[in-house]
Amino acid sequence: MTILTDVLVLGSLLLSVLLTIQSAYTLYLMLYTWDRPEAYQKAKAPAQFLAAQKSFTIMLPARHEEDVIQSTIERVVRANYPRHLLEVVVICKTDDQGTIGKAEEKIAQLSTEGLDNVRVLTFSNQPTNKPHGLNVGLASTNYEVVTIFDSEDDIHPDIFNVINTVMLQEGVNVVQSGVQLMNYESNWYSTLNVLEYFFWFKSRLHYHARVGMTPLGGNTVFFARSVLERAGGWDENNLTEDADVGIRISSMGEPVRVVYDDRYVTREETPPTLDHFIRQRTRWSQGFLQTLMKREWARLPNFEQRLLAIYTLAFPSIQAVLGLYLMVSLATMFTIKTPVLVAITLSLPLYLLLAHLLLSIIGLYEFADAHRLKPSWKTPLVMMLTYLPYQWVLSYASVRASIRELRGINNWEKTAHVGAHRLEPQPVGGAAGAKA
Amino acid sequence: MAWKTQMDRLLVVLSLATGAITHGYNLFNYPLYVTDEGIYIQQAWSVLREARLSPYTYFYDHAPAGWLVIASWVAILPSQFQTFGSAIDTGRALMLVVHIVSTFLLYRVTARLSGSTAAAVIAAFFFNVSPLAIFYQRQLLLDNLMVMWVLVSLYLATSGSDWRRGDMRIMAAILSGLTFGVAVLTKENAIFFAPVIGYLLLRRLQGRMNYRFSVGFWSFSAVSIVSLYFLYATLKNELFPSGFSFDLNNPPADHVSLLYTIWWQLHRSQGSILNTSSPVWQFSLGAWLPKDTFILIAGAGAALVSLTIGVLSRGRRLEGVIVSALALSYGIYLARGSQMLEFYVVPLLPFLAMNIGLVGGWVLSRVPALLRPVPVLALMGVFVFNPAWGYVLVVDQFGHVVPHDLYKLNQTGMQTEQLQWIRQNIPPDAKLIIDDDMWADLHDQKPYYKWAHSHYKAASDPDVRDKLFGKDWRNIDYIVMSNKMRDAMLLNNADGGETWILQALDHSQSVWSVEHGDVKLEIDRVQK
Repeated sequence: MTILTDVLVLGSLLLSVLLTIQSAYTLYLMLYTWDRPEAYQKAKAPAQFLAAQKSFTIMLPARHEEDVIQSTIERVVRANYPRHLLEVVVICKTDDQGTIGKAEEKIAQLSTEGLDNVRVLTFSNQPTNKPHGLNVGLASTNYEVVTIFDSEDDIHPDIFNVINTVMLQEGVNVVQSGVQLMNYESNWYSTLNVLEYFFWFKSRLHYHARVGMTPLGGNTVFFARSVLERAGGWDENNLTEDADVGIRISSMGEPVRVVYDDRYVTREETPPTLDHFIRQRTRWSQGFLQTLMKREWARLPNFEQRLLAIYTLAFPSIQAVLGLYLMVSLATMFTIKTPVLVAITLSLPLYLLLAHLLLSIIGLYEFADAHRLKPSWKTPLVMMLTYLPYQWVLSYASVRASIRELRGINNWEKTAHVGAHRLEPQPVGGAAGAKA
Repeated sequence: MAWKTQMDRLLVVLSLATGAITHGYNLFNYPLYVTDEGIYIQQAWSVLREARLSPYTYFYDHAPAGWLVIASWVAILPSQFQTFGSAIDTGRALMLVVHIVSTFLLYRVTARLSGSTAAAVIAAFFFNVSPLAIFYQRQLLLDNLMVMWVLVSLYLATSGSDWRRGDMRIMAAILSGLTFGVAVLTKENAIFFAPVIGYLLLRRLQGRMNYRFSVGFWSFSAVSIVSLYFLYATLKNELFPSGFSFDLNNPPADHVSLLYTIWWQLHRSQGSILNTSSPVWQFSLGAWLPKDTFILIAGAGAALVSLTIGVLSRGRRLEGVIVSALALSYGIYLARGSQMLEFYVVPLLPFLAMNIGLVGGWVLSRVPALLRPVPVLALMGVFVFNPAWGYVLVVDQFGHVVPHDLYKLNQTGMQTEQLQWIRQNIPPDAKLIIDDDMWADLHDQKPYYKWAHSHYKAASDPDVRDKLFGKDWRNIDYIVMSNKMRDAMLLNNADGGETWILQALDHSQSVWSVEHGDVKLEIDRVQK
């Protein structure tokens, strides 16, 4: 019994130290941009735009997006950029007649206004997933810069001016611009989910770009066509084709420029239900695991990049341990009689957990300021209560992902979109009132 | 610009060298080893030799960061406690290092806040040569370590391109918070600097990109470090007193308690500045002013000038508010009259020097830049060479100009002789009542005098008083008297704890003694 206790204590001690280091490192990555005044300046979009020069292929991969596809097309074609430099393709599988119908309806409507730079591209073979659609799109288009938007994305009208300017001014071939979930007070997990995006795009990704190992996002990412062609397009067997292509491009030595300017972010929504949220997170975790096992990161030129790649890709799997460990650590601290110094070491991850909670709460106000929102006084309280359950949900999703991967299940669990981020406040005495 | 940087480096090096000389020369000889030095080195001894915070029951009288640092210092030395002579000498060598580090930090912080090299040079000068500062800063005191941590925290809090408005790294804010937490755990009264550093951060970062993160994480870091102390007590089941009883007339008997000790400390007033017999007056008139009138009067005056100019300038001279607040906030702590010891003036000194530097810098800014060294050097020359100021040279009773006691007197030699006499004439198994100053030497070097205990512990610690001595004067073999130890015993005898030791003293006969000036040491054998 004592040997068992000793092993437990020793194991917990080791885990505590590792966890503290890991947690402190993550904390640093999340604070990176705010910590470095020069990085903060660099993250901003250019203050003045150069004349439009680059041409853009905009791919809108969609599946069962009848509800939102029309407004997405609308936003893209109405961007502040010369129409002849934009080529928009909606990419669907042939069996998704609903989305195809809605898209074509919109195209017909636009053509009456003389807007004819949008078309639908279809494919019928397997697999039925986003990377497959993107490869089809890549092969059938020819503008200079290729970009992707998801059907639920609200893009900023000036986004192409931003990218055109950055690419011309800095001579970069790959630009990732910010994506931001917006509905931060929709449900119990939305605040923390919104903040994950905020910290990822506003801070952490800049660190990745500096190191030269950038797992890209799934949309609002801009590639010079030549780079994508050299990389061989997207991996159709990978559930996070975006991160994967980012790592492959990084290993080609191609620098990635990250722009997060609160004004120009692409707005998205959190998954509408917990179930969808878990499915989305499972897909990401599993995709990261696949990318890790694929070992493309091994071709990254230097050690720091490879280490960061392993850390980033393995993180969702580590997360499974984190959620559970905290309870073990607390239990060990107060139930098993250990020397005081051991007990204090066991408590260190708890301090880091509090630091992360503080980070999120401050992040809420930074996010709200950036987007001129006013959080309710209840929101930080809710965050405190939901912080641990949220971590447990992430742990659950990553365990689920590992099991799926082990059992060879690789289908795309789609996330539903209801357009919660597009719900604008209704004017006082709205339409209904006027009719009455 | 290059020559300016070179000149600045040269001035830093000269300041550090001055500090090394004034503090290092005669360091091991003067002043006399005192009880508190002995206690801290004894507790560091316990950390290294017993993996405990004190050889006796640790009752949270002070947070332990200070002697953990002392223990770390001793641990890396080749001959451990004996590296520099006696155990306290080894601790004093650390104080020299601490002073040099503190001088560097004081120089830089003053230069940043004032924007004036002259201010930094003046501040460092007074910090280095003030006899009052040297007297206490040579001693192995927690306050000296605390001052260094506060200065590190300030150094980090003023980092970045422009301390007034410029951006600051969050990492600097976190480190500043952590070091401030360590300062509090070194000596709790560091807490009185918290509002000033907090105000500094708020003012400089308001409206900056990482305002919330920096201020938030500064506070979090500081609180986290301090909370470790409470966590320690919780884990030992010593946070609350037994039965949650905070009755000051009935101290909890079965175990010590951190919160009870804090409660007790908060109620330990010895009279505020309004009471003319309080220690504030006693020490300032009796001990501090005679050692260095200038730094106290000029420093206090400069703090008032800085404050007035800072407030009237409506933010343009924010440094005036900050620098004066550093001195005044601690001054208020002293004046409000809590429990006080002579060396409590230590944390005030760097900030008095800083205020003198700041005001000096303002005055000198009206002098053409090339001429500025003239008045600064003249000022220094007066203090160093004019015996009327009593800084380095003094006039002795015969009217001769001689160096200050700090640089010529050997007082600890008498204590060394006393220790040698014990080793040569008293068997190691004798039961001794001593003062803490020689505790570590008697317990760390063979033969060990394991039954040598200080009169404080013999008066109050049940393990020593009752179990070892049975509270009977006949069980004492020798009493080793440090300077004015009888007075200290009488002062400590409010509850009658020392009575049985005083009885032993009445039944004893002096077997060794030495007297020089106002110092008298004795060894008495108890006649049974």
